[in-house]
Amino acid sequence: MVREEIQARILEIFRNSFEIEDPGLDDDLRDIHGFDSIDGIELLREIEIMLDTELTREEKENAMEVRTINQILDYIQLLASQRGRN
Amino acid sequence: MNRRVVITACSAITPIGHSRADICRSLLKGVSGVKALRDDGLLTRYIQSGVFGTVDYPIDYAFKRQHSKTMGPVAYYACQVAKDVLEQAGLDPAFIGSGRLGVAFGSTHGSPTVQRDIYRTFFGGSQSKFSSIGAVDYLKSMVHTTAVNITKMFGITGRVISSSTACTTSSQSIGFGYEAVKYGMQDAMLCGGADEYDTTTVAVFDNLLACSTKFNATPHLTPRPFDIQRDGLVVGEGAGAVLLEEYEFARNRGAHILGEVIGFACNNNGGDLVLPNMDGITLTLRSALKDARTNPEEVDFISAHATATKMGDVIEAQAIAKVYGDKPLVAGLKSYMGHTMGSCGVIETILSLYMLAEGWVAPTLNLIEIDKRCAMIRHATTITEAKIRIAAVQNFAFGGVNTSLLLKKFDD
Repeated sequence: MVREEIQARILEIFRNSFEIEDPGLDDDLRDIHGFDSIDGIELLREIEIMLDTELTREEKENAMEVRTINQILDYIQLLASQRGRN
Repeated sequence: MNRRVVITACSAITPIGHSRADICRSLLKGVSGVKALRDDGLLTRYIQSGVFGTVDYPIDYAFKRQHSKTMGPVAYYACQVAKDVLEQAGLDPAFIGSGRLGVAFGSTHGSPTVQRDIYRTFFGGSQSKFSSIGAVDYLKSMVHTTAVNITKMFGITGRVISSSTACTTSSQSIGFGYEAVKYGMQDAMLCGGADEYDTTTVAVFDNLLACSTKFNATPHLTPRPFDIQRDGLVVGEGAGAVLLEEYEFARNRGAHILGEVIGFACNNNGGDLVLPNMDGITLTLRSALKDARTNPEEVDFISAHATATKMGDVIEAQAIAKVYGDKPLVAGLKSYMGHTMGSCGVIETILSLYMLAEGWVAPTLNLIEIDKRCAMIRHATTITEAKIRIAAVQNFAFGGVNTSLLLKKFDD
């Protein structure tokens, strides 16, 4: 999955599930858009569905430091590469 | 420290209306909010009662996702009436976040709608490998979801009390809120209760043979408190909130005062969890009068719990006669909307405040022929002009919990 494709799907999830329209790719999602830890857990579930794979607890904990859309894209690309999908 | 506690704002979502004008119109015209029970695809096929006190009008919620993401239907109701009340009251935003405003708000069991979704996830036979409860499902369904969604939405930082004692949930909210202000722990309390459309509660009461079943084809003719043909309670949905403030605080900020809470009592029967208990109820009514330093003959109106069960109404009528005699007008307001469970105490308080302001008492709906065993008190059977100075709101719950609130028309 190429980065542009992932980005389009993530922005669609943010629009439909979190009512956040086109956030800047380096915006601090918590400070600027009120995206909190509960939203983070919901997003991890969406990522599992997107990648059709269950995330380990360690992988989920690693996501807790993620703050921006670009970091989310990095995170997803890493997960995909670890599963041999890039 | 004994401070006066006044009511400065109120709002209710009920099966007979949301605004004061709609609710009063329904009371004056004898409009019932009881409708046919909707099929829930789960329990209704096993339930004999086919009626429900239903909120069937749209409510224009304008909650941002930031707030609504942790709310089930019951919290939507709660936050809407809380929003109405705070808008009416016009409190200084600095005070709202000062820690001197608290919340006393509850429901019977949080959100059964969300709880069903959780159970469906585990027991629904889904083959999805990603099925799990959502991150916010607990926050939406938990028993104190109403109180804390209110604190979150409005930034309230004072104490939180979240009663969940079924039919006395919101009368306890008001009573415990009144005590928090009276004794100086808080300067104001936002108090109330809510319950959403829920067939689980109907199933529980139906199984105990406590629900009305003979009027399924004519829902508006039930419940029938104190009437010879009454055949049980009707479960309903709704919400209500009142703002209680310390009198000097309210006066100094120029608040419009709707009434005063002058007394409260709560006790338990100390025995059977279901059967009404004359001694327990009588003691509660007398304790509230003592707290209010008021004589029984000073009470002009009683909002009876009056669920329209066979025994409950008889015991309550006898307890009223024993404590108050036959002078105060008595009305069973559940006759208009069914038993709204966790919200009935606050809704009946608000309806009493409306009638106190309007100068009339609405009759108990469907009270055509008074059961002789309930006939020793002064029933309101028609719209009655009445200058109410003091009103009593009494509620009794499964578990043997009893409450009585005493309200007074405001005068300096």
